[in-house]
Amino acid sequence: MPRITVVERDYPAIAAKMGALGPLVDELGVTTKGLTYRVEREVEYLKGKNGAIRGGPADGRPSLVRDIHACETILALSGTTNGHLATQGFRTLEQRTGTRLADLAAEHEGKRIAFADTQAAPVPVITSPEWSGSETGGRRYSPFTINVERRKPWHTLTGRQHFFLDHDWMADLGEQLPVFRPPLDMTALFAEPGIGDLGPAGITVRYLTPHSKWSIHSEYQDNLFMLSLSRGGQTIWMSEKDAVKIGVADNDWIEAVNRNGVVVARAIVSHRMPEGTVYMHHAQDRLIEVPRAETSGRRGGIHNSLTRLLIKPSHLIGGYAQLSFAFNYLGPTGNQRDEVTVIRRRSQEVVY
Amino acid sequence: MRVMAQMAMVMNLDKCIGCHTCSVTCKQAWSNCSGVEYVWFNNVETRPGQGYPRAYEDQERWRGGWELNRRGRLRLKGGGRLRKLFTIFSNPKLPSIDDYYEPWTYDYDTLTTAPLQEHTPVAQPRSLISGQPTKITWSANWDDNLGGAPDHLHRDPMIKGIEDKVRLEFEKTFMFYLPRICEHCLNPSCAASCPSGAIYKRSEDGIVLVDQDKCRGWRMCVSGCPYKKVYFNHRTGKAEKCTFCFPRVEVGIPTVCAETCVGRLRYIGLVLYDADRVLAAASTPDDKDLYEAQREVFLDPNDPAVVAEAERVGIPRDWIEAAQRSPVYALINKYRVALPLHPEYRTMPMVWYIPPLSPVVDIVRDTGHDAEDHGNLFAAVDALRIPVEYLANLFTAGDPAPVDAVLRKLAAMRSYLRDINLGREPRESIPESVGMTGEQVYDMYRLLALAKYDERYVIPPAHAEQAHGLEELATECSLDYEGGPGMGGSGPFGESSGGASPIAVENFRMLRDRQTSDTYAAPVDKGSRVNLLNWDGKGTPDGLFPPKEES
Repeated sequence: MPRITVVERDYPAIAAKMGALGPLVDELGVTTKGLTYRVEREVEYLKGKNGAIRGGPADGRPSLVRDIHACETILALSGTTNGHLATQGFRTLEQRTGTRLADLAAEHEGKRIAFADTQAAPVPVITSPEWSGSETGGRRYSPFTINVERRKPWHTLTGRQHFFLDHDWMADLGEQLPVFRPPLDMTALFAEPGIGDLGPAGITVRYLTPHSKWSIHSEYQDNLFMLSLSRGGQTIWMSEKDAVKIGVADNDWIEAVNRNGVVVARAIVSHRMPEGTVYMHHAQDRLIEVPRAETSGRRGGIHNSLTRLLIKPSHLIGGYAQLSFAFNYLGPTGNQRDEVTVIRRRSQEVVY
Repeated sequence: MRVMAQMAMVMNLDKCIGCHTCSVTCKQAWSNCSGVEYVWFNNVETRPGQGYPRAYEDQERWRGGWELNRRGRLRLKGGGRLRKLFTIFSNPKLPSIDDYYEPWTYDYDTLTTAPLQEHTPVAQPRSLISGQPTKITWSANWDDNLGGAPDHLHRDPMIKGIEDKVRLEFEKTFMFYLPRICEHCLNPSCAASCPSGAIYKRSEDGIVLVDQDKCRGWRMCVSGCPYKKVYFNHRTGKAEKCTFCFPRVEVGIPTVCAETCVGRLRYIGLVLYDADRVLAAASTPDDKDLYEAQREVFLDPNDPAVVAEAERVGIPRDWIEAAQRSPVYALINKYRVALPLHPEYRTMPMVWYIPPLSPVVDIVRDTGHDAEDHGNLFAAVDALRIPVEYLANLFTAGDPAPVDAVLRKLAAMRSYLRDINLGREPRESIPESVGMTGEQVYDMYRLLALAKYDERYVIPPAHAEQAHGLEELATECSLDYEGGPGMGGSGPFGESSGGASPIAVENFRMLRDRQTSDTYAAPVDKGSRVNLLNWDGKGTPDGLFPPKEES
């Protein structure tokens, strides 16, 4: 069970507290991936580097008032940019794992990367227990090299990479080992039309949202150059066979509707798509060239307008071995990206 | 033998992921200004596809490049001087803006200034030509990833003749990306088409450039270039093109497109060639022999006779050494895996390509076979006429044999190296089957797969003692301009017409021109004259009419 504690806040003092590195780091240290670092030295360093706050609730603490103070603090408190902490962390880890590790960072024990160094040029980071790879000796980073080469146990119940989960709930679901699960039957569950159904509302197709070709979520998707090298707005890829069935030509405006929402986009018709499936690239920018939908009369949605999280019990497992629950994405499967939608050709005169 | 040095590029198409980083960084560096909104000195096309501008390879329509006349002599496909003269005021073979695309932007301002309203604000597209709201119907890369292929693919000129074999079916899909820049040809038809003699090929490194002062905007170069890699600047009324980033190359660093290439697929290096043999090679009767003919124009930089002759004509020692280490020469003539793009245009292009094996590998893998096994791959190369014939239409004037040979070498490399990678005994029979030794295959692997920065780019810096020649200056004093102490030449920022331009500061001048001109036609310091040849019809620039008398 998660531990629930009461936190008392002195609201008028919040801003002053946020402008300084608080006193708990002296007491508790800094913990990452189950490893605690003692940072008294770093706090003293930051008092000198950033200056200390005078007066008020944060009196005497290192300043976080300016952006550069925050950067210096992050750089000072991470082993990847502070060789002293990296070796300290590896020594702690040596005691816990019984394997030799501190030499990985020893070559940089005295090295400290300050903000000015990162402004001058990109700086390679120091090998640190915060990550699983090694860049010792100028090597390129690759994940899990420390686990493989130095026999540092993986953070699992067995200390090995394993697929088998002996949690009761997984046993009940028959998922102790990875298994294939077919897409959910949206017709039976949510009364969506069946895939391939063709009616006045359009054709029902499987709807996927793969990651974009040209962007990291919406970043760069809205870049004018990249829009000039694509279709200039949000698009849905569909097969020629499906397009013919609903009278859609390449670049026609279409609307995709299901129980979750409405998307207005241009169609890209290609034989590169299989019949019965469409996809809409992840996170295209809704601020660019997205008209109002005929269906709702409101601004058309994005790729996620047609998806909805679907939770099953195994997503809620936590507090056991390497399994933990966090209230975020709710589960590892991305099953909500296997949707169905009804697509039709809409009026080609769009209103913004 | 007349030895000359040429800066050249090879692109390894298996590594291109179509990310367009090269296009964006190039545009940002060179054509990010008004008048050239539609221009991409570097673009990446999905093939099969029409490319940019649309179907530029259809030379029956565009009449670019060279052809042989009845006597077997080279002539411009677009016609000689007489034809040029008759059509000089109405060039009929010019791509319209629709063949490129109508550039647009968005009314981004709406996003921050829209009042409180029911619907979230959205930025609509606006034409960069008319400034009016527009519907986007074409772009610089419309058919990316075969988008819209059912409508457009039949317009790809390279499909001609193999239409029945290229099937628009999901299971039969193949594609690859083709990044393109100016070819910096040994026999440039753009330069030969220019009535003003404004396009020249630098003798030191073969880079083809437009003299912005000599250019009169006739646009015959646009028509003459079969690759459509010369563009018209609608603001300055001059031709502009890829410069092979000469200010960078002159100091020994790679072009912007190559430097920023994520896939590290570009190679830059020198080749030495025999200028006396170019004409004969370009006049080779059979199109299909042009690849071999061009390959033979290149001189072996390790041949003592070539080295001696190169030194005699004044090619610096470090340039000769760079030519000996050149990755471009190695890929073209040592390993023979690079092929020219459209040798049949007879311009002797100097940006070559390693054709992609990945369409073959994909098919072998997707049909459940071992796609690292050389036997399977060789059989697939033999059996799969598509994509081989398509690649042959691009790189060898339709002759599949050289493409076959390259793909087999790449397949052998894959297979041979897999054994090494898995710690097995390498099988020498694999390289032997493609006429190579194990060591050669390993060296090729090092160049293609490991692709170290200093092996991909072997660029000798320009020589300070040659700077005078590189800048194409005569012997003037730098203060010798109109109104300056020397009282000759043109102004410090140049003018729209006349005067020799110091080419090494070309870009500076162009930018400065645009930044300092009050009107479209005339820089501020031009004062009393208007060059009507370059007047784009906008406004009434100072000097167009005599000043009104003050009353």
